[in-house]
Amino acid sequence: MTSLTRRNALGLFACAALAASARAAAPLPGDSVYQLHPRLVDQDGRPFDWGSTRGEPVLASMFYTSCEMVCPLIFESIRRTVDAFDKPVRDRVRVVMVSFDPERDTVAVLKETAARHHCDGRWSLVRGSAADARRIAALLGIQYRRLPSGEFNHSSVISLLDAEGRIARRTSTVGDVDPALVAAAKSV
Amino acid sequence: MRRARTGALAAALATACAIAPGADYAPLPGGEFTSALPQGATPGTTAVARVAPFQLRTTPVTRAEFRAFLALHPAWRRGQAPAVFADAAYLADGPAADDRPDVADARPVTEVSWFAAQAFCESEGARLPTWLEWEFAAAADETRADARSDPAWRQRILSWYAQPATATPQDVGGPPDLHGVRDLHGLVWEWVDDFNALFVAGDSRNQGDPDTLRFCGAGAISMADRDNYAVLMRVALLSSLSAPDTLRTLGFRCARPATGEPR
Amino acid sequence: MELQSLRGALQRTRAFLGLAAIAFVAAPALAANAPAGTGDFGPPRGEPIHAVLTSPPLVPPPIHRNYPAHVIVELEVVEKTMQISEGVNYTFWTFGGTVPGSFIRVRQGDTVEFHLKNDPANKMAHNIDLHGVTGPGGGAASSFTAPGHESKFTFKALNEGIYVYHCATAPVGMHIANGMYGLILVEPPQGMPKVDHEYYVMQGDFYTGGKYREKGDQPFDMEKAIDERPTYVLFNGAEGALTGDKALKAKVGETVRLFVGNGGPNLVSSFHVIGAIFDEVRFEGGTNVQKNVQTTLIPAGGAAIAKFRTHVPGSYVMVDHSIFRAFNKGALAILKVEGQPDKSIYSGKELDSVYLGDRSRPNLEAVTKATESARQGTLTLQDQVKAGEALFTGTCSVCHQANGAGIPGVFPPLAKSDYLAADLPRTIGIPLRGLTGKVTVNGTQYDSVMPPMSQLNDDEVANILTFVLNSWGNPGGQVSADDVKKSRAQGAASTAAAAH
Repeated sequence: MTSLTRRNALGLFACAALAASARAAAPLPGDSVYQLHPRLVDQDGRPFDWGSTRGEPVLASMFYTSCEMVCPLIFESIRRTVDAFDKPVRDRVRVVMVSFDPERDTVAVLKETAARHHCDGRWSLVRGSAADARRIAALLGIQYRRLPSGEFNHSSVISLLDAEGRIARRTSTVGDVDPALVAAAKSV
Repeated sequence: MRRARTGALAAALATACAIAPGADYAPLPGGEFTSALPQGATPGTTAVARVAPFQLRTTPVTRAEFRAFLALHPAWRRGQAPAVFADAAYLADGPAADDRPDVADARPVTEVSWFAAQAFCESEGARLPTWLEWEFAAAADETRADARSDPAWRQRILSWYAQPATATPQDVGGPPDLHGVRDLHGLVWEWVDDFNALFVAGDSRNQGDPDTLRFCGAGAISMADRDNYAVLMRVALLSSLSAPDTLRTLGFRCARPATGEPR
Repeated sequence: MELQSLRGALQRTRAFLGLAAIAFVAAPALAANAPAGTGDFGPPRGEPIHAVLTSPPLVPPPIHRNYPAHVIVELEVVEKTMQISEGVNYTFWTFGGTVPGSFIRVRQGDTVEFHLKNDPANKMAHNIDLHGVTGPGGGAASSFTAPGHESKFTFKALNEGIYVYHCATAPVGMHIANGMYGLILVEPPQGMPKVDHEYYVMQGDFYTGGKYREKGDQPFDMEKAIDERPTYVLFNGAEGALTGDKALKAKVGETVRLFVGNGGPNLVSSFHVIGAIFDEVRFEGGTNVQKNVQTTLIPAGGAAIAKFRTHVPGSYVMVDHSIFRAFNKGALAILKVEGQPDKSIYSGKELDSVYLGDRSRPNLEAVTKATESARQGTLTLQDQVKAGEALFTGTCSVCHQANGAGIPGVFPPLAKSDYLAADLPRTIGIPLRGLTGKVTVNGTQYDSVMPPMSQLNDDEVANILTFVLNSWGNPGGQVSADDVKKSRAQGAASTAAAAH
């Protein structure tokens, strides 16, 4: 609280709360991924409300920490994509990464992964049950399969969700920034 | 007043009890199994997988059973389930929650999405079988646990694929196989838990040429046993689907761990 | 200092000239009509066009357009049961409801927006690989479609030619064997020379559980397909698809262009039209043309364009010249050419009965009816005349002609024949024992050989004779199977039988 007076701060808070509750009151569209209510926990061990990012644009994907090849690239792609956004979008965008290996991706592992990839406050690395992971993958159109060795076969898809949780754009481009994704974020 | 209350109670009991009967599970021993989908560490190679013992519903879930589920779970009725969980054709041909409960309908329920199937299985303390569990169960015939090398087994399955889809399928309750499970072939396609992980790309001909970046560990795309086209067809169909999709020829059955009990 | 600037100026000028030269060379490439072979004529122009698709054997009309366009193609997959042969049902998987699938026609350089729809009543997922597409899987990777869904992908038709398309969903061989193939024509930018008729013919091999012509519902047989032992080899998906009243048609003196494909899945075709020579064949559907070709090889998953001009009327039989396929598996189609004969080119008889035997008869119902009536004892004169007419065609008409006129100096007429009318028992004996040597009919002498028609049974002879007696000014009358039987029993009489 630097230049904000207490009254201003309270006013702002009230506005934000009103806006949030207004949005919460408005029904979710039928094709919103927030229709799902998985029980998730983030890298700090706090319960993560899947629908809490409603109102902001979201970049969502899935990963597992033991992945050597592609998953680091997914993190990198998302980071570069966020950097490529216009400032208004960059300020609002959130990133949600869901693990499909909750057995090995404990909260501690998630925390360590977040640190390794220099994830800032807009990133949430989350884990839930195996069933929830499967459901989220079904929503985001991500394929994954556990091999007996413990490795996973999986596709790499980054989804851009609009403020209502609808998939506005998906990309399989990994390693590079997808200009179509950046363009789509402008109108989200 | 009292009579009405008793009547309501009876009705509630009737619908509640409607779930439990008919939920007939058969135990399957599990064991070592060579899947048609490569399970090996090296791309494209098979490795023998271990299937833990499990229980499988003896028939696909019927329309009568699904109707009872809809009565207790209105969120899953046609028109209630959001588009992200079920497409526009979901239950287009019924059953509906308000059908008369005494009308027994033993046909397998179809036009259900993966999400709806999951919800049903969870409602009876079960889940969808994994592909491996389904394939393991489906390899059996009346006398053998693994009949897949028998051309007659393949031909029987193939001839169902060759017939065009009829309007709605026949009743469940075909002859049981070695494990006591019925109707795994010849009735409807069935959802599995990891239907979207079967990794037959839209064009499955370039088997040895994986797009490594698109699929982590992508070498495992190829089908290990190309001769087993009976399995190939099933994998192809499931791979073409998304979770909210429904088909007139696609139903499901549930599975649960070996020691599970119905609620 | 001056040298520097001079050198600099020279360099700049050289650079400028270089650029100009490049621009000069590049300009034609960028212009509308790029040199043949590049196929990329730039972005599409004008309003989007909905492609006209046709069912075989018809072909969409030629394209009259001199610019690349955005063309929208919508193709639906339908799984349906149809007859593969008389009384034999097979479940086909089809593009557009037919085997082969709809014919697609675009122009080189077009941007094609392809929609693949999978009927919700279908059981299987399908996709499409068009051999005219440059891109992964020929489109197959981008068109994998579940029942009740539609996929869309876009490609530019870079190469002109005639290309096969087919489903490529696992197991691919089965999808193809069930009929999922067709042709897409990418016209060269200047169009194709005008012809009078264009037709679409596509060969395929089929594998059923039962034997050839075994009646009833027949399933696909994967073992036979893997062993490459087809039950049927057919043009356009069914026996008789292009024969009888469904034969292709042309007139004398017209040019015919055949787009001939081979969907396989296994066999290579030795495509030949009996009695015709291909003036030009774009073999393998490529750009080069071979001339004066009798038989052309069409690979499985390939196509060719054959062009020829008709000169003489008749029925021209298209076959796979691996000839057992034509006569024992059904690889047979007909082009019927009508018009004035030209004896200087060909003097002779009709071709069809020689090659086809019983296949040329489109309608054996009358014969069946007559046989049934005879068995029940209700046979009428009309039944016999109708049955006799059906049998006459293809057996007697070969020599005596369909109108009974015969061939002057060679074969005596049956029309208003005094010879036939004079002695009925003698007449009955003729089909049985043949007739050789000098006879005088209607005042003209003939000295020819008619072999005994030993393939005909008593009913058939009776019906044919009844028909003849009641046609073309003959006196009428009725011959019964009993009459024929008696004549047969009297044995070889004065007429000696000669080998045919």
